[in-house]
Amino acid sequence: MSKPKVAFFDFASCEGCQLNKLNLENSLLSILELVDIVEFREAMDDRADEYDIAFVEGSISTPTCVERIHDIRRRSKILVALGACAVQGGINALRNSQPAEWVKEVVYGDDKYLFPSIPVQPVSAVVKVDYEVRGCPMSTPEFLHILKSLILGRKPEIFDHAVCVECKSSENECVLETGMFCLGPVTRAGCGAVCPENGQYCSGCRGYVSNINTDGALEMLAENGLSRLEAVKRLRLFCSSELVELDGVK
Amino acid sequence: MNQNNFTSLRQLKKVFFDERTTRGFISFLSDRAKVIAPCKKGENSYSFEYIQNPDEVVFDYPRTIQPLKKFFLPPRETLFNFNTRENSFSEPDIESEDRIFFGVHAYELQGLLRLDHCFEEGHPEYNYLRRRENTLFIGISYTPDDWHFSRSVGIEIEKLEGFCLYFEPLDSGFLVFIVNEAGKNLVELFGKGAEIDNDENFALVEKNFRVKIKFHHNRLPQVFENVYYSKVWEEISRKCLGCGTCNLLCPTCYCFDVRDEIELDATTGKRERFWDGCMLNSFALVAGGENFRDPLSSRTRHRLHRKFKYLADSAGDLFCVGCGRCSKYCPAKINIIDIINDLIGDFAGQQKRVLI
Amino acid sequence: MEVETIVTEKKELYTPTISEIVAVETLTETEKLFEIALPGGEMLNHKPGQFVEVSIFGFGEAPISICSSPTDLPTFKLTVRRVGRLTAGMHRLKEGDRLGIRGPFGNGFDVEAFKGRDVLFVAGGIGLAPLKSLIDYTLAKRDEFRRVIIVYGTKNPAEILFKQDIEIWQQDRDIEFHMTVDRADAGWQGNTGVITTLIPGLNLDAPETAVAVVGPPVMYKFVLMSLKSKRIPDENIFMSLERRMKCGVGKCGHCQINSVYVCQCGPVFNYPFVRSLEEAI
Repeated sequence: MSKPKVAFFDFASCEGCQLNKLNLENSLLSILELVDIVEFREAMDDRADEYDIAFVEGSISTPTCVERIHDIRRRSKILVALGACAVQGGINALRNSQPAEWVKEVVYGDDKYLFPSIPVQPVSAVVKVDYEVRGCPMSTPEFLHILKSLILGRKPEIFDHAVCVECKSSENECVLETGMFCLGPVTRAGCGAVCPENGQYCSGCRGYVSNINTDGALEMLAENGLSRLEAVKRLRLFCSSELVELDGVK
Repeated sequence: MNQNNFTSLRQLKKVFFDERTTRGFISFLSDRAKVIAPCKKGENSYSFEYIQNPDEVVFDYPRTIQPLKKFFLPPRETLFNFNTRENSFSEPDIESEDRIFFGVHAYELQGLLRLDHCFEEGHPEYNYLRRRENTLFIGISYTPDDWHFSRSVGIEIEKLEGFCLYFEPLDSGFLVFIVNEAGKNLVELFGKGAEIDNDENFALVEKNFRVKIKFHHNRLPQVFENVYYSKVWEEISRKCLGCGTCNLLCPTCYCFDVRDEIELDATTGKRERFWDGCMLNSFALVAGGENFRDPLSSRTRHRLHRKFKYLADSAGDLFCVGCGRCSKYCPAKINIIDIINDLIGDFAGQQKRVLI
Repeated sequence: MEVETIVTEKKELYTPTISEIVAVETLTETEKLFEIALPGGEMLNHKPGQFVEVSIFGFGEAPISICSSPTDLPTFKLTVRRVGRLTAGMHRLKEGDRLGIRGPFGNGFDVEAFKGRDVLFVAGGIGLAPLKSLIDYTLAKRDEFRRVIIVYGTKNPAEILFKQDIEIWQQDRDIEFHMTVDRADAGWQGNTGVITTLIPGLNLDAPETAVAVVGPPVMYKFVLMSLKSKRIPDENIFMSLERRMKCGVGKCGHCQINSVYVCQCGPVFNYPFVRSLEEAI
């Protein structure tokens, strides 16, 4: 069996997810035995025409990005979105809530005409995405699970339940007990509840469970002392492409 | 009724340990077996941990985050290791070690005894029962807080079933009641502590529960027989976030899922089981896409029917032990006492209509 | 040590028996038929309607109904629709490959309730697979049963299973076979319409007809209504219900319908009992 050809691409992002992959350290050599990495800008220069698996990081924010992602999709058998920017639009998508011209002015000043841009979208808004590795940065165990599953030729097992499940399984002290708020009850598990495990609240970087009770979540955040506007901002920080029903809450 | 509990306690032989002696006793236990006891966890919480140093043990605590089940049904457990190329597998050994659980509340042990029933009946499960071997439990009294309601489900603070010793705190230390032969042996071998002839000098303080279920626990299965279509389920689901915290912390929830994980060599791997819960999205989902318990209201209904009816009918005991974890830790602040009392209200209303 | 010493007897609940695929047949685009042999010529000893947990290491485990009759020894057969992780993995396996088997599990059809009576089989889609174990059993002991009536419906002609068997059933004068498809294609010359359209036309000796129904969850309500209008007594109706049977031994909780574990009390139930379970259909 020849090794699957794997490529990594990045769009609008901090490239933290790619660095996260390089941080796999112990696993990295084993991964290289299983796959041929043919494109990885953070680490190498090679290029190939077709890919068995394309991992795509970052959100789609310019007309050039749209062309490029279509091209990648055409050349890839399986396309996996990596990290909050690629999966949900991520932090980048926050700019969608501000007037586009003003945003360009702030970022590029007088050069703003040189940088055409479109509203920030997750990869799945432009092309078909086969699998998602959520998180900001992406969760490395989940990345490995998907990579290993795809190499074995099986469908990965992705959770659709809350971070609380992992947090309670690890018997972390509930951060609500320490006076913080937490988005863990509605955020998708898969990160191993890494923030609450370290005494931090969950900020929802992995997006939400498929059946999120939005009103219930707002009620919970109100109980935790957040104003409605603050609660909506918190819920949408990483996920402005989800929870669109909260558009326009002032 | 509390009178009776103290009466049963008063009939037992007892010794007095001051706090230093008690910690010495924990050291003594540690020489003979692994000792597990409540410890401080984080800022405001507690957990059962293996004890290295007796000073870590907390005597006065409301409840631990997780019940005892984690020691018998671990949150994550390898059922077997496999090799895909050779189609072979091997099971890890499950060690049966001598373990003494110190400082356990009565509802906690009652929860474990109910789990015993589930893993013994039908097809007895080796993994659980093996871990359950060679264990001793030493009880301790507690002061109910805003969430405990054990008495409402028939479990008194001083319920002794399953304990070998029972610690009742006094100002200056503990009255240690000797419940059975194993407890007696431990105290005798330890050889310290003052023998008490009569307890006249010790005024046992009756403790009250702050919250309670409106009906006697004997009537709850009857209530649950009649509230399947109650509007209460729908009302709860408006607040419920479906996070599963109530399942994950419940002493009598034991549902699990099983998954295969492969190593990076793409050849070896393990089949693991994980805690699961009937409140979670994929619990009743089949491969064809049908979710047999989709609305959150039907999941809460199922969860509570298991506690108060389904398992209660087959095992003969309510499967809620009144620890209050599901309410105390519910991020949406849903209180099981409110649910049950609302259901009772619904049931009472139905009865009234029947009479009219 | 003061701790009471107990030693638990070890019984294997979760470990599979590695078994061999002795034949694979493609039935449709999404269904394959696997014939499986336990090691050492061991028999599965199943009852019609029971299921096994099939596993492929790395892919996991899934419950699959046994579609062969216990009278067909020494192997057993599984009809597998490619629908999830495990079944997709199974579809890549060939003759000679191995997989893990646990079981048989659950409660099968009570064949005694069918003996000496007219037998009506109602199969919707993949539901023909679990029913086929009972059909083949009935046909193997044909003289112990009175009329044999098979009613089979699929979504479209491409999904028809067991075409060779159907041809035999259609020609056998001792079997009354009726089938329909929800949507016909260009080559289809048979009945068109949902399965319940076939039931009103049957001439049944209602009190002496035992019925076995298996199909997708949505089908039951309508088939039961049709059977009711044919005055079939409820206690003559047996059905197999699908749920997420994971452990197979009544522990993991996934397959529960109200108080009942489908992997223990089911998947085959008698209709009066099903009626007492609010969550069943």
